[in-house]
Amino acid sequence: MSAASRYSVLALAFAGLLCAVAVLYLRVSASNEVPRVEFSADNIGPRPVEDLTRQHIPRDYALAWQTMEQALEENRPDLLDAYFTGFAKEDLTKRVNRQIGAGMHVRYQDRGHKLEGIFYAPAGDAMELRDRAQVDLQIYDGGKVIYDEPIDTQYIVLMTPGADRWLVRKLQAVGGEKP
Amino acid sequence: MSKTIPFLILVAAAWSARAADLHPPSEATAGNSISILTSGSGKATFYLIGPASVIKRQVQAGSDIAVDGDDLQNSGRYIAILCGSDGCGSSPFLVNPAAPNRLSLQVHPSRVPVASVNGISVVAFVFDNFHNLALRSPPVKFSILPKDEKPVSADRPVENGVAWVRLTSARKQGTTEIGAAIGHADEIRVVQQVAAEACNLRIHANRDKNGFLVETDPVRDCSGNPVPDGTVVSFTMSDAVGKTTVDVPIKRGVAKIAMPIKGRARISAASGVVTGNELEVGG
Repeated sequence: MSAASRYSVLALAFAGLLCAVAVLYLRVSASNEVPRVEFSADNIGPRPVEDLTRQHIPRDYALAWQTMEQALEENRPDLLDAYFTGFAKEDLTKRVNRQIGAGMHVRYQDRGHKLEGIFYAPAGDAMELRDRAQVDLQIYDGGKVIYDEPIDTQYIVLMTPGADRWLVRKLQAVGGEKP
Repeated sequence: MSKTIPFLILVAAAWSARAADLHPPSEATAGNSISILTSGSGKATFYLIGPASVIKRQVQAGSDIAVDGDDLQNSGRYIAILCGSDGCGSSPFLVNPAAPNRLSLQVHPSRVPVASVNGISVVAFVFDNFHNLALRSPPVKFSILPKDEKPVSADRPVENGVAWVRLTSARKQGTTEIGAAIGHADEIRVVQQVAAEACNLRIHANRDKNGFLVETDPVRDCSGNPVPDGTVVSFTMSDAVGKTTVDVPIKRGVAKIAMPIKGRARISAASGVVTGNELEVGG
């Protein structure tokens, strides 16, 4: 084998290594990225959505998913305090604690959300939404992957206003192509 | 022969992949136990990951796995996984909410002026016994239970777990109870209906030793309810020197003030957006 061929093989191997590292890095850093949320409030009622609320809902919902994904990956229930309240927080906290007990964790690769407002209370104190979420989900037992699938799920979401943000009060999967 | 052995290995691999298969029901109901069929043989680890639960236990592949209703209380997406020595198999399934039996009732505001059209917002979120939003539900029965009057009720449909209604407050001040009922759930909230803005504000003046004592008639709203004490009435006096305004809270239904007036003066009163009559005094 000539020197040029050897260098080519080495370069290819190095490029492959770089790609592998990049893929691993992207997976690891997935929870550090804010998921993409497309929000539509065209069919919401009975109260029309205010301009500021129209901006805050997708922002806060995206941040809620980011913190949820991070909490479930790093087994840190404290992260749920920022964007969850009520039953949603209770349920997710229970799930993280049970993950800790079983020595498990999950990792999400979030591919985006289509969020649609379906009910905005007349007093402006609650909003119900429907989300079509697309994520890749990996479930780990210790360091071993026991599940790795793309999933497409519909959620019914209940959000209520907090002091400076909207909080997720209920997050309930209701179906999807792969429920 | 040389081609047969790899084929047998493939068949065996396919068989062992099937060994971790499991078949939960495609849908279940919150709080109800289920049985998950499995195939294969040997020891395996069963996992069940749900909205609020994570189960991990050793099972015998090929036997049915019983999952208790307590582990399926949350409606949503569950993933059942079975891992044997030869790999893992998985199957997702959906747990639907149980029958609606709880309500979260939000009534706003808690104090509302009388005769306020659509001034009361009543929203009922319908849940099952496990706090799952009951997305399919019969209508919610909303009731208004005023003091000393006949109760009124009406059904409203539930869409996506929510039923709502807007109400106009009564013309007479006082408390009223607003209720919502479904299944065994019956929630009641109390709303205080208070007098609205003053209406037909009228003042009169009488001489006293230092000038005039200016006083309102009993201040009432347009439905005849007395405006609560503490509501401010602004008296304005204009004379040759200039204009003076004094804010006076209502006490025992009226607002009054002594005004030292020399010469001629005009006196008027206002409360909120309502202005009263104008008096000309002195001379």
